[in-house]
Amino acid sequence: MSEKPKVSLRMAMTKKQKTYFYIIMFILSALYINAFFTTSFSVSGSAASPLETLRRIFIVPITNMDYIVQFPVYIGYMLETIAIAYAGVAVATILAIPVAFLAARNISHRFSYIGKSILNAIRAIPELIFAIIFVAAVGIGPYAGVLAISINSIGMLGKLYAEVIESIDKSNIDAIKASGGNRIQAMWYGVLPQVLPEFSSYSIYRFEIDVRASTVLGIVGAGGIGAPLILATYQRNWEDVGMILIVVVVFVSIIDLISGKIRKKLV
Amino acid sequence: MIEFKNVSLTYPNGHQGLKNINLKLNEGEFVVIVGMSGAGKSTLIRSINRMVTPTEGELLLGGENILKFKEKQLRKLRTEAGMIFQNYNLVKRMSVLRNVMAGRLGHTGTLRSMLGLFPQEDLQMAMDNLERVGIKEKAYVRADQLSGGQQQRVSIARVLTQQPKVILADEPVASLDPPTSHKVMKDLKRVSREDNLTTLVNLHFIDMAQEYADRIVGLRDGEIVFDGPIDKVTDKTFEEIYGRPIKEEDLLGGDES
Repeated sequence: MSEKPKVSLRMAMTKKQKTYFYIIMFILSALYINAFFTTSFSVSGSAASPLETLRRIFIVPITNMDYIVQFPVYIGYMLETIAIAYAGVAVATILAIPVAFLAARNISHRFSYIGKSILNAIRAIPELIFAIIFVAAVGIGPYAGVLAISINSIGMLGKLYAEVIESIDKSNIDAIKASGGNRIQAMWYGVLPQVLPEFSSYSIYRFEIDVRASTVLGIVGAGGIGAPLILATYQRNWEDVGMILIVVVVFVSIIDLISGKIRKKLV
Repeated sequence: MIEFKNVSLTYPNGHQGLKNINLKLNEGEFVVIVGMSGAGKSTLIRSINRMVTPTEGELLLGGENILKFKEKQLRKLRTEAGMIFQNYNLVKRMSVLRNVMAGRLGHTGTLRSMLGLFPQEDLQMAMDNLERVGIKEKAYVRADQLSGGQQQRVSIARVLTQQPKVILADEPVASLDPPTSHKVMKDLKRVSREDNLTTLVNLHFIDMAQEYADRIVGLRDGEIVFDGPIDKVTDKTFEEIYGRPIKEEDLLGGDES
């Protein structure tokens, strides 16, 4: 009886591949060893022990009555942050639609690269940079935040919308044209019903992202809860930092939960 | 009422879809077009509502040469020629009733239709037509919840709501199982009889063609190779149309009722 040859899941390596494999392994291990021996592990920091700082961030704000009564103030800031994100996404949703149609290959054909380039350019710039520019342009406050969020969201939403448009089924457009409908009617009854649920789903998802993003925007003066947060960290007011973080975590979790539920129903 | 006069169609790649077609269809006839795939059945049907445009000849509908029609006349022509597709072509995320009303768009002003303000009598008609194909209770259900046979009935209701003079059905049952195919064909035949609509249907199953047609037109390589009433059709006729002996796969079977 002849023994069957052993089957391995991976294709056997040739001699050349084996040599490359060992050379690469050698270089990588050399890098790791070098890194372990040369990185300094000494900690330079403040005299306060980390444990004490953590206690002040997470325990004191929820146990000390003096701090608990201050929560409404930060909830107010958080609501402003959410409002910034909401306004930003609302503007972005509307503005992203024409750009998306321009960027969709099956709608604008060879002109689609214009739309795609616009969207790529927007996405290449971080929203913090937009925030700094808009704070300089329109002054400190939530208005700058809304502008920064909206421009930045157009980049992502436009790209996602364009992909949705590219994946539509054109057959029912034929059906409407075959029954004598005009171009606008074909768009309205053939294209929009197909893309709208996904458009809104992506917008809600982007709103989630923007709530998190606009908490940070306050750092550069674009309104919201970021401003008190950065101030409190500079002053080592760990109790305030803790309260702000708790508010942010709670609100972001609630929003994620709700938006997840809505999006499940939409698509 | 529909007359093809020396109609030919050459595609830009040089392929001849139709070759010198001469055909006269009378009002209220239920005509089945048979032929193998690639014989030009779809091209013939789609010429009538100008989804494709023949390159030569004249195609008369109600005495007018539709090959000369421009944008506006074309839309009017298409309101008069309703089309049923193999893949139903419904918007799956819209309700059945909205899909049926999509057939009414050609009769409705752009702004009105965008706002969804259809006249009450049109909505009544849509409901009546859904009732005629037996799915009235599904009016507010999303189209993707329906089975294939039900979706094809929705598209029949959509065509009827368009109030056409002609129904063009391009392989209406090719995506359905045999029993459902027969039910849909029976519905289609019944409503076209009731409304006295000229109906052209593409089929590639010969037993179906024999069962439902008043008249059969056979196509091979873009040419009409047979045209005659159903009582003149025998198995031999199909062998001539197909250019080969009839095989098991040319038969659908499965009519239980």
